[in-house]
Amino acid sequence: MNSPIDIPSELRDLKLDQPVNLSRRRFLAGSAIGALVIGFGLPIGSARVQAATAVTAERGTQVPAFLEIRPDGTVRLLCPFMEGGQGTFTAMAQIVGEELDVEPAHFLIDAAPPGEAYVVMENGLRITGGSMSVRMSYPTMRRLGALARAMLLQAGADTLKVPVGELSTEPGKVVHAASGRSVAYGDLAERAMDLPVPDPASVKLRDPSQFRWIGKPVRRLDAYDKSTGKAQYSIDLKVDDMLHAAVQHAPRLGMTVGGLRNEAQVKAMKGVHSVHVLPGAVAVVAERWWHAKRAVEAVQVDWQEPGADSKVRTMPADFSSDAYRDHLAAQTGPARDDENEGDVAAALKGAKTQVEATYHNQYLNHGQLEPPSALARFNSDGSLEVWLPNQAPDMFRDDIAKRTGLAKEQIILHSPLLGGFFGRHFLYDSANPYPQAIALAKAVGRPVKLIWTREEEFVRDVLRPVAVVKFRAGLDEKGLPVAIEAVSATEGPTEAIAGKQGEKIDPTAVEGLAGKSYAIANKRIAQIYVKGPAMLGYWRSVGNSLNDFFYESFLDELADKGGHDPFELRLHLLRDNPRLTTLLQAVGELSGGWKRGPFTAEDGTKRARGVAMASPFGSEAAVIAEVSIENGQVKVHDIWQAIDPGSIVNPAIVEHQVNGAVALGLSQTLVEEAVWVNGMPRARNYDLYPILPPSRMARVHVRIVESGAKMGGIGEPPLPAVAPAVANAVARLTGQRARSLPLSRHTFA
Amino acid sequence: MHCPAYNDETPTDDQRVNAMELRINQKTYQVDADADTPLLWVIRDDLGMTGTKYGCGLAQCGACSVLVDGNVVRACVTPVAGVVGREVTTIEAIEADPVGKRVVAAWVEHQVAQCGYCQSGQVMAATALLKHTPAPSDEQISAAMVNLCRCGTYNAIHAAVHELAAQPAAKESV
Amino acid sequence: MKNSRLVTTTRWLALPCLVAAGLLAWYVTREVTSPFEQETPSPDQALIARGEYVARLSDCVACHSLPGKAPFAGGLEMATPLGAIHATNITPDRKNGIGSYSLADFDRAVRHGVAPGGRRLYPAMPYPSYAKLSDDDMRALYAFFMKGVQPSDQANIPSDIPWPLNLRWPIALWNGLFAADKPYAEKPTEDPLWNRGAYIVQGPGHCGSCHTPRGLAFNEKALDDSGEAFLAGALLDGWYAPSLRQDHNTGLGRWSEPEIVQFLKTGRNKHAVVYGSMTEAFNNSTQFMSDDDLGAIARYLKSLPGDPQRDGAPWQYQAMSAATRLDAPGAHSYVTRCASCHGLDGQGQAEWIPPLAGATSMLAKENASAINITLNGSQRVVAAGVPDAYRMPALREQMSDQEIAEVLSFVRTTWGNTGGAVDAKAVAKLREHTDPASSSPIVLHMR
Repeated sequence: MNSPIDIPSELRDLKLDQPVNLSRRRFLAGSAIGALVIGFGLPIGSARVQAATAVTAERGTQVPAFLEIRPDGTVRLLCPFMEGGQGTFTAMAQIVGEELDVEPAHFLIDAAPPGEAYVVMENGLRITGGSMSVRMSYPTMRRLGALARAMLLQAGADTLKVPVGELSTEPGKVVHAASGRSVAYGDLAERAMDLPVPDPASVKLRDPSQFRWIGKPVRRLDAYDKSTGKAQYSIDLKVDDMLHAAVQHAPRLGMTVGGLRNEAQVKAMKGVHSVHVLPGAVAVVAERWWHAKRAVEAVQVDWQEPGADSKVRTMPADFSSDAYRDHLAAQTGPARDDENEGDVAAALKGAKTQVEATYHNQYLNHGQLEPPSALARFNSDGSLEVWLPNQAPDMFRDDIAKRTGLAKEQIILHSPLLGGFFGRHFLYDSANPYPQAIALAKAVGRPVKLIWTREEEFVRDVLRPVAVVKFRAGLDEKGLPVAIEAVSATEGPTEAIAGKQGEKIDPTAVEGLAGKSYAIANKRIAQIYVKGPAMLGYWRSVGNSLNDFFYESFLDELADKGGHDPFELRLHLLRDNPRLTTLLQAVGELSGGWKRGPFTAEDGTKRARGVAMASPFGSEAAVIAEVSIENGQVKVHDIWQAIDPGSIVNPAIVEHQVNGAVALGLSQTLVEEAVWVNGMPRARNYDLYPILPPSRMARVHVRIVESGAKMGGIGEPPLPAVAPAVANAVARLTGQRARSLPLSRHTFA
Repeated sequence: MHCPAYNDETPTDDQRVNAMELRINQKTYQVDADADTPLLWVIRDDLGMTGTKYGCGLAQCGACSVLVDGNVVRACVTPVAGVVGREVTTIEAIEADPVGKRVVAAWVEHQVAQCGYCQSGQVMAATALLKHTPAPSDEQISAAMVNLCRCGTYNAIHAAVHELAAQPAAKESV
Repeated sequence: MKNSRLVTTTRWLALPCLVAAGLLAWYVTREVTSPFEQETPSPDQALIARGEYVARLSDCVACHSLPGKAPFAGGLEMATPLGAIHATNITPDRKNGIGSYSLADFDRAVRHGVAPGGRRLYPAMPYPSYAKLSDDDMRALYAFFMKGVQPSDQANIPSDIPWPLNLRWPIALWNGLFAADKPYAEKPTEDPLWNRGAYIVQGPGHCGSCHTPRGLAFNEKALDDSGEAFLAGALLDGWYAPSLRQDHNTGLGRWSEPEIVQFLKTGRNKHAVVYGSMTEAFNNSTQFMSDDDLGAIARYLKSLPGDPQRDGAPWQYQAMSAATRLDAPGAHSYVTRCASCHGLDGQGQAEWIPPLAGATSMLAKENASAINITLNGSQRVVAAGVPDAYRMPALREQMSDQEIAEVLSFVRTTWGNTGGAVDAKAVAKLREHTDPASSSPIVLHMR
């Protein structure tokens, strides 16, 4: 077993009637990994963690559940959030380390197991998504570090036999300035373990002006391991006696296995352990994954059409993504309003000029580079251990409990590093391999690791939704917008997962149309709910990823129609909003001054620039893009982005996140599209589903604006304004207004 | 080493089991594998070296890049029989190579990795490039650094490789 | 989605329509005679099994079955310039299939292209070749279709070719000119192995349907080895089926008999891997042939002389690493998109991934196959029930017409290859008329 998270079996077997305040000595006595775990803290995955923290009064105060300080001063933090590239482990080391007084570089971080103790976000959830991790847990995680520091100070007072008030800390140690003595945290951990956690209200947090690590470009903790192949993901894990599995999914969701034509032949293939029929899939278990994969491809299945009682959304044989877009465009209502201010109908009627346009977008795959996998093992004590990529461990554990009939306490869930996620690893009923892995492990009586091939992933991945949005707007005699209306025919991902429309509009369906800050007196944003056959999910920036493209492109159309420069029009519409005015001016400055073009660049190409803004996930973003046309297709040379998340923890990681979000934004703008024909995805791999290659990446220039507003997200906010900025630049350059994505579907002259 | 048990049926032409000797990271391994098994799965499952990643299995993403006799190849489309008698280098031994060591250092310096899943392959591709061409041109860099990265670390990769290209090794010792 | 394997360019309709006027009605409506008129078959299991083998040799399933549907229930669409036609239900269902056919009716349809009632079949059905089937094989084939195939009442799809282009009787005239009318007769000068090979290749195997160039009326220019055009290579359905003669470059001149057998048995050898239309012929037909029959085919094919004039100077490998030629148009694309499988040296990874150096598609003047496989990738090769370990990706979404033209021009002029440059317009045309290959294995069943 070489999982990054080891749990000695003795620790899992602790009895529930033992004292809640698990002692360090007991921990040591039961430890199979010896000196490495000297310190304090509870074993991961132990039912004790949940028991110990079930009655917690305040979030994030169960210090022993989170922290373990080792004799060498290394601090192991069990992080409530998953690391999938967004840098949350490093950010948490900065935040906790700042208050604990330990250098972030001395942290070792693993994802925490499920459990109430780790619900630290102010909204009472524990998910890694929505760009929430840092912004929703920032004060709590600081306080956690401060509480642990207080315990170490008290232990230092006991050790040095001085009043605690005479002590202070320096990174990694408690210092008695008067006597010049100090004790390393590693030497105090044992004693600190036996102390109660102080009253959360009793600790004072560090003055931000004294921050050493928060707000600084601290290096990522995982940079070296990820540059040398040492980082381990779910797909890399191995346990003793493990078998490998591969599946063949039904070509369309909802179809079931009628029969296998050549089961005997497949069973006789080399390395094959067994062949299994699963809901909507066939699996082969083998000694090696390659054998499982080849054998399962060889299985000839008679697939049956879905029954009326199908538990999953069924995909009809005649579904095509192009036809579905026409279907959306034909919808006339009824619509539900999300925003309705002023009197749009009257304002449109009274407007000097009316403008109308219809936009749409495309389905997308997540395309995270690590194909989904899951490793399941039934232990002799009746517990079930599962390793899987996830963004919400408690939801996954609860789902496993529901599927298996086991008690939550019998399920040990491990959350390894994510090889990319972008929304892929939420709980999607039909799109996760763990139910299959668990069924197979149970069937064969041995641990099973199941890996989906890229092809099997692309046929089951949940899609980023599509929408057809009809805009109407009115301009006054000065050419300024006085009314805007957007009616989106769409299904939001939350609606798709629920299988129905909620009491309220799914915010993930309309965000980006709704929530705009422009001062337009009359506005109406509405949704026509259209339940579709494709299973949908969250994709980086969710609703904003499409809706800001629609809105910000249409806004440029209004500027053109009204005879205004789009940058100036935005400034005008934001004239009473100092935060966004500052941001828009910042991106203008960053780009060397707003210059729309067209102009001829030094290399002789004709270029133009476009601007767009977005307000996603609690942050504000403004983007300028510079484009030219090369062989009829768009080339994006530069992206300037000013982003205001209120305040930040790590500017280096922010800059990298902006780069990454720009890349994904360019990818959906330029090349990406999941095309479905005859109920099946045309692309089952990256050959027919191109994602942005390095040759199409733009230079990215970032300016972080810290307005001091409430902290916002950073993983998703830099994406939504990219597509409209590019489309606006292209429209300026070519005179062609692209009202759909991707731009590869258009030819530009 | 993991030695799986097999059914004992007679192998057909297409399923030949070959005992073969592989040289990987300066060590010799005895492997029993079908001749057409991709090198990737021999490395990962039989030899337990999981730094080389599976991303697509179709030579599209490059996450499985390894060196064979110093040239970068995609292990997912390399039948293992084809590397018998050749020297394979995986990410696990990259720092034993002086160029590889510099590449890793540059990757850390530029904080390239995000999720990190593609980065083994990116480091291998950069190492192969710089071993052959210590000071590559832009054209050579763009021809060599083609692996996909879904996190969009392309600019950081570009910066790291350009820095390495601008400062060809020389002083560094093994 | 149209399936590229179904897209048959059917120029053969043109001439019949043009020459329709003034021809003798008795000729076109006359009843074709069959040697089986008085015969009442009494099939046993051995005969049915033999018939199944003849059906494999003849690859009936490739056109008359659709994946996931009842075997031989028809439905395969063939797009023609005049409209779509569909392969028919040939199960023994009495209403929609051929259950009411007598052996003689069956014979007239298979060997002469005449359905009961005198209706002429479109020669998309390769009866010009099937005419050479032996009487014994016809009896066996009939036994299989009557007793070995499950009846299906799947209705036939009428063609949407409009009147008067849908008139069938002119086809009779075409048949008189271009179809064989007698079963294969052994050549006494050759040994039995050769004769067996000739029989399969010319008759049930209908290799000429793809590999023999066609005349103005879309007729195969030769139906046997008496014509130099026989199996000399032809363009069909967006693929160039190469010469099967002893042409050094564009034919089988460099292949040994065992290598031909290996190719037909396993789908691959050190020279090539089946792709394009040949994948279906392999998946459904050639791999099921006995070793003796494959040996016979190899023997026969190796006896067909090449034409050095047509074929050009013998290809020789010229070593070169694409990485050293980055300045050449297309070389950059080759290095980034092709070399990881086919090698910087173009030599592939025999026998799993074919070489491009010396490949017939890179030596032949006709470039359709090279373009098509690049745009659309390869169908899965399913050998002995197991899908291939490696497949060619479809690059149509990643590369422009110009980029594909450049990379193929590079490949076709490097390593001694002499195919020559590819024009972006040719890529554009094929792009428009083809679809990407499925990444899922397609297995057609006969029972």
